[in-house]
Amino acid sequence: MNSPKKPILELNKVTMRFGGLVAVDNLSFTVHEKEIVGLIGPNGAGKTTVFNCATQFYDDYEGDIRFYTEAGDSVDLRSKKVTEIAPLGISRTFQNIELVQDLSILDNVLIGAHYKFETGVFRHIFKTKKARDEEQVWKARAEEILKFMNIAHLKHFYVAGQPYGILKKIEIARAMMMNPRLIILDEPAAGLTDYETDELEKLVYRIRDEYNISILLIEHDMGFVMNICDRVCAINFGKYIAMDTPKNIQEHPEVKEAYLGSEA
Amino acid sequence: MKKCMECMKTRWNRFVALLKRHPPLQYVIFGGMLAIMGLGPYFGIIPVSTAMFGALITVMIWTVAALGINLLLGYGGLISLATAGFMGVGALGVGIFMTEYGWPFELAALMTLLISGALGLLIGIFSLKVSGIYLAIGTLFVGEILRRIFTNVPIFGGERINIGEITFLGRFTIDRNLPFQDFATGASQYERYWLYLILTVLMVLTMIVVHNIVKSRTGRAFMAMSRSENAAQSMGISIIKYRLIAFIVATMLATLGGIMYAIYFQNAPTEAWTLILSLMIIGAVVVGGLKSIFGTFLGAVIIHLVPNLYLRPLFGDVRSLFTGVLIIVVILFYPRGVVFVVTDLKKLWGKLKKRLQGRKETAHDEQS
Repeated sequence: MNSPKKPILELNKVTMRFGGLVAVDNLSFTVHEKEIVGLIGPNGAGKTTVFNCATQFYDDYEGDIRFYTEAGDSVDLRSKKVTEIAPLGISRTFQNIELVQDLSILDNVLIGAHYKFETGVFRHIFKTKKARDEEQVWKARAEEILKFMNIAHLKHFYVAGQPYGILKKIEIARAMMMNPRLIILDEPAAGLTDYETDELEKLVYRIRDEYNISILLIEHDMGFVMNICDRVCAINFGKYIAMDTPKNIQEHPEVKEAYLGSEA
Repeated sequence: MKKCMECMKTRWNRFVALLKRHPPLQYVIFGGMLAIMGLGPYFGIIPVSTAMFGALITVMIWTVAALGINLLLGYGGLISLATAGFMGVGALGVGIFMTEYGWPFELAALMTLLISGALGLLIGIFSLKVSGIYLAIGTLFVGEILRRIFTNVPIFGGERINIGEITFLGRFTIDRNLPFQDFATGASQYERYWLYLILTVLMVLTMIVVHNIVKSRTGRAFMAMSRSENAAQSMGISIIKYRLIAFIVATMLATLGGIMYAIYFQNAPTEAWTLILSLMIIGAVVVGGLKSIFGTFLGAVIIHLVPNLYLRPLFGDVRSLFTGVLIIVVILFYPRGVVFVVTDLKKLWGKLKKRLQGRKETAHDEQS
């Protein structure tokens, strides 16, 4: 833990305004390689906005968001389009499940590998050998990941009608398809039962250890966050409060105040 | 007897497995069945009358155009009301290139397809700015502009362009009005069967192409783009690229439908490409089943063949009223498309089987 770690995502004085509302205010923090970082804050604190800035859904923020590639080069994410974020090695899940309801689970996971494919629409039309082989390769990979997530037996079922816990898992599986270096999870434990949350905890550890993926997550389930994260960053009204180990964060007076209100 | 049943069953299972391994085979078999049906009038088979033959032609033309709309609407979540306009581009384009410029048929068809692909690209670019009802209105006017051009620009020959006989591959000249001489029966039918066959082949090829697109990365990208734009983008799917692909493929298929019209009727009218036709084709897609290839064919049968073949003799000229009622009834009972009749029949068959087995078992129990 004490060895100096390589950064993977770095926010530097990021500010995001919607009209007169400052959703993120001068926020800076860093995620290191192979680290699990939690971002917490009361409702409306601007957590999802931070994610949307990092993945370039909003590109009119002020400040700098940098991503460090495997070779150690830093990339200014602002110079990338939203569709160019995935090829860099960042993938994300969504707060409200964003899956294709009328596709099978396997096909949904395959969408995650979209930019990894090399064949284009002409090869697909004529179903050339290359297109078929490529499809097979990625199907095998998708099945492997579904097995890892423990839902391989459901792969041919439609997404529509699956329970919430399964949907969350499919989203994570889809995010893992592209071999990312950083996964951004937006409320992965929301709506899960206690048992499912425990399972998710183990999964997140395994994702980090077996696939060497760093994880940045938003979560309201404090038990989950405090158990799982190496470091936690607390924000309120878009402003940075503190970033520290879970234990220290729990004791931080300003964090307590943000959640519980000040003593009158 | 029982043994024979068993071996039939294993053969059937093997056949089903083969179809599962090579899905395009089902379209080829379907096309083969249609090709055999088309021989009906020559042998005087009652259910396949000449009228049926004619209706099947239109159904096939509609199916090809409707498959493009299905790709656009069912998978891509986009809409175009310019289908009929592009069918007109197909029929009239081939007509002009063949009669005015004297080009061979294949070159004329290719050129027409390229032109409509370019127009599709333009609509695709337009669709980046608008969506939903505004896209519908925009494409509505594209179709209307095309229709106005057809009827008012003199090069399109006023009412129609007569193409006359078409030579395929530089060797086979087919004139639809010439008697069909050297066929087995020697009956005085016309050469139209060959044209019917060509249309069948084109439709089957279109079905396979659409199937291949849909079951590939491109098809998944269409679905992701229409169901959840955010997720699609964060997976690296470029919305611009796939919208353009969807529009280009859809307009080219509509044009192919028009070219098929020109092949079979060997003339191209200028007045036929109205909004009603576009709406009928969208109706065929919705009634038949969004996201289903056979469903699209079935939808065309329900919207065109049934009213023209069975409702016309029953109700005469007020048949369009009953066409409307038919569509409403279908949508009431099968909101996801008539193609789900098959699923229902399967369920019914399963229930029946169970009941029969149950009866047998109870009988057995009583005996023992």
